[in-house]
This record gives sequence, C-alpha cells and structure tokens, in this order.
Amino acid sequence: MTRPLKIGAQLFVFTALLAGCGSDPALRTEGSASGIRAAEEVGAANVPRASLHLQLAKEQLEKAKKLSADGESAKAASMLARSEADAELAVALSHEDAEKTDAKAAIERVKQLRKDNNLLVE
Amino acid sequence: MIRFILPVCLASLAACGSTPPTELVQAREAYRHVSVGEAGKIAPAEVHVAAQALARAERAFEDDAESFRTRDLAYIAQRKAELAGAIAATLTQQKGQVAADKAFVKTQGEVLDEAKQNLDATQTALIDTARRASEAEAAKAAAEKRAADAQAALARLAAVKQEPRGVVITLSGSVLFASNQTVLLPQAQNKLNEVAEVLLTTRERNITIEGHTDSQGSDSHNMTLSQGRADAVRSYLVSRGYEPDRIKAHGLGEGTPVADNKSAEGRANNRRVEIIIAPEGISSN
Repeated sequence: MTRPLKIGAQLFVFTALLAGCGSDPALRTEGSASGIRAAEEVGAANVPRASLHLQLAKEQLEKAKKLSADGESAKAASMLARSEADAELAVALSHEDAEKTDAKAAIERVKQLRKDNNLLVE
Repeated sequence: MIRFILPVCLASLAACGSTPPTELVQAREAYRHVSVGEAGKIAPAEVHVAAQALARAERAFEDDAESFRTRDLAYIAQRKAELAGAIAATLTQQKGQVAADKAFVKTQGEVLDEAKQNLDATQTALIDTARRASEAEAAKAAAEKRAADAQAALARLAAVKQEPRGVVITLSGSVLFASNQTVLLPQAQNKLNEVAEVLLTTRERNITIEGHTDSQGSDSHNMTLSQGRADAVRSYLVSRGYEPDRIKAHGLGEGTPVADNKSAEGRANNRRVEIIIAPEGISSN
C-alpha cells in the first residue's frame, strides 16, 4: 500500500471509531413499556402496593431515557432493568390481590349457603 | 507480579471492609424472608430466580461496592424476591379458592339430599292425608246414607218432617199415653221400639224430646204433664241403648199448638210428643 492510501485508511478507521464512541446505542425500552402497560391493564393503579411499584416503574423508565439522552448508556440500561422489575412486580401484586378477593368470596359463598340452609358453619 | 496481585488484594479487602449499600441490605432481607417461608415449596422456580439475582448483586458488590451497577442489581434482586413471595401467595389463594369451591359443591349436595328427604317425608304425609281424607269422605257418605235410610224408615212409622231445627218425628200423645197420664201404654212401647231401632242407626246425632198438650187444663198442669211425658219417652229410648248425654227432654205444655184447640181433632193433634233429631254437628237443646 502507498503512503497516502495508508494515511487515508487510518484516517477512515479513526473517524469511524470516533463516530462509534460519540453516539449511544438506542435504548430498548419495549420491555419496560409493555410491562407498565400490562400492569395498568390488570388494574395495578387500584391496588395500593401494586400502584406504588407501577409508579416506580414509570419514573425509572423516564430516568433511563434521560440517562440515555445524556450519553450514560450503561446507567440507562441498568435503570431500565429496575423499571422492568418494578412493572413485573406490579402485575404480580395485582394478581395476588385479585386472587385474594376471589378466594375470600368463595369462602363466604360456602358460609352463606350453610347459613341459609341451617347447616353448621365450619 | 506483585504489582498485579496487590491491587487485586486491595480491591478484595475494600469489598470485605465496605458497608453494603441499602439496596443490598434490603435485597438480602427480602430473599431471607422468602426463602425461609412457604414460598420455597410453593414457588421454587421463582425463589431460585431471586437467589440468582441476589448472587449477581453480591458479585457486583465484591467487584465494586459503591457502583450504580451494584445498587441497581441489588434493587432488582429485592424485587425478584418480592415477586417470588407474591406468586407464592397467589398460588396459595388459588388453592384456597379451589378448596372453597369443592366445599360449596359438597354443601350443595348435602342441601339437596336434605331437600330430597324432606320431599319424601312430605309426599308420604300427603299420601297419608289423602288416604285419611278419602276414608273420612267414605265414612261421611256412609253416615249420610244411614241417616237417609233412617229417615225413610221413620217415615213409615210416624209423621216425619224436615225442619230447620232437624228431622221432627211426631208421635200422637193418645197413642203413647192414657189421658192425663205420663206412663207409657204397653202398645206404645212397640211403636217406640221401632222408632228406637231406627234412631240407634244414627246414635251419633243429638236428640231433643218435646212434650206438648192441648189447651185443656191449667198452664202449670200442662207443663208438668208435658214434661213428664217427654221424660218417659226419653227414659225409654235410653233404656233401648241411646246415649243419655245425647238425648234431652223438655215439656212445652200448651204453648206451641199445631192445630186449633177449639175442635176435638185439633186438640188431638196438639196432644203429641215430638222427637227432634238435630242436624250433624249440632248439640241438643
């Protein structure tokens, strides 16, 4: 390779490297966003513990976006993982609350049936 | 070599001596709580995930105690432990609901069995009631037939009339008694025997015997005479088997004539004894 070509190739590689260092990879927020949507759909906002974690998930998603915009990609990704964890917990707590309500209703149904028919309530 | 090892040792020492961040302390506690409880048996996979998350946080803490990565991984580990707890609680509630639903079905079965037993008992009672009603109906029909037959038989023996107060059998006073007497004539007993036979077929009925006279003689004499005659007829019927409690005798004297006392025929008709058979269910006067 001639000297001018060598210099040109090195310049090209250097520029490419500079370009890579200067821009952050795109933040993948789909996981967190869909987790938050799922929590909202199961009514997490109406369950005290679940609504807390839903709020945390939303706040952390916003923080992650800001960190990404500031070029702090590693911190952004880590914050996003926190958001996903809170959204997942919000969904689980909503389900737990719903099951608790259903189970309680089922037990009451038995008690009422026994009471209505003058059977001993167990 | 020493230049390489020393920083490594120093770093390890730094981790051992470092205070864990709040997130890691909370993550450890959350995992401890879920691992000693029932969640380990009910949701083992979720508890395992929580354990792995805590292990990652612990490794990050060893690498760099103060980094954001350590804090974030610890935060996530706490959430994973709480998630395992929530899932275990949900599964427990589901089991409880299944058990309650089974109990409901079982109770419904008990209620149904009891209802069937009650229905059987009610049906048996209804059949029994129907049978007794039928028997009562038959008994009533038989009694009515006996009464009708008795009335027909009486009509062949004496004057019989149906009045609101009951069936009235009128026997002539001159057939039963001598003039001014209260002792039954011998031939009267034959007539009364026949009447008694018919009356005894309806012995469940109450009877009133009324003695009547014509207007000859004083009121008080006629009252005494009519009472004596009514008593005589009563005594005879009781002697033939009629229940004493069901037969009463009254003397009404000349007070209720059925004919004009001015004529001999009228006076003869007024001298009478009436036997009143009360309708069913009515007590005697």
